[in-house]
Amino acid sequence: MKIKTYAILKNYFPDVIDMVLELKNIEQVKNQLEEINPSAKEILNLSRFAVDDTFVSLNHQLNGNEAISVIPPSSGG
Amino acid sequence: MRYISTNKIDLLALSSIIEDENAGAVVIFNGTVRKRSLGKEVSHLFYEAAEEMADKMMNQIIVEAKEKWDLCQVLAFHRIGEVLIGESALLVITASIHRNEAYEANRFIIEKIKHELPLWKCEYFTDGEKKWGGNCNCQEITKDPNVHIYS
Repeated sequence: MKIKTYAILKNYFPDVIDMVLELKNIEQVKNQLEEINPSAKEILNLSRFAVDDTFVSLNHQLNGNEAISVIPPSSGG
Repeated sequence: MRYISTNKIDLLALSSIIEDENAGAVVIFNGTVRKRSLGKEVSHLFYEAAEEMADKMMNQIIVEAKEKWDLCQVLAFHRIGEVLIGESALLVITASIHRNEAYEANRFIIEKIKHELPLWKCEYFTDGEKKWGGNCNCQEITKDPNVHIYS
């Protein structure tokens, strides 16, 4: 499972995280990221998650083949 | 059409292609890079995006604006990569029969971009510091990063 990070999240994680653990839903992904880097907890709480370019909720179920993006708060314009 | 690009935004060229005989009002929002921020001198901005996703969302925002208001024309572009002082980072042009629709639709598109588009600004300062910032902070009130507040 590949997890892509953006912008400020790159201060805490690599651009792409190759997760070998079996994670059943997005909440488990978020929890796992918090375990990898506890100092990212605050920004992860503010972030949205997308699966295959579509925003999803924390209870979104995973089959292991998806492309997951962690989307920190927007700052366009 | 690509809405997100590293290409420079050419305001004059883009304004000319939106000419429409049915329009009585054309509103242009040109978001430019300012010289000072957070009390410091800015060197330049760098914009990053989840490009494919941001491009699709920009198209959806424009479709939604067209559904809400009777618009003759709409254009919206966001630049990514390095953007220098004075250059355009975001351009939104709306044209309608009367001014209210053009103003309201333009504001709607800008707010959606600022709150929801997966696109981020990093400010680089002349003192060597950099800061990802200007983030949407709606979740402090809504308690949900997916729920935004529009004034």
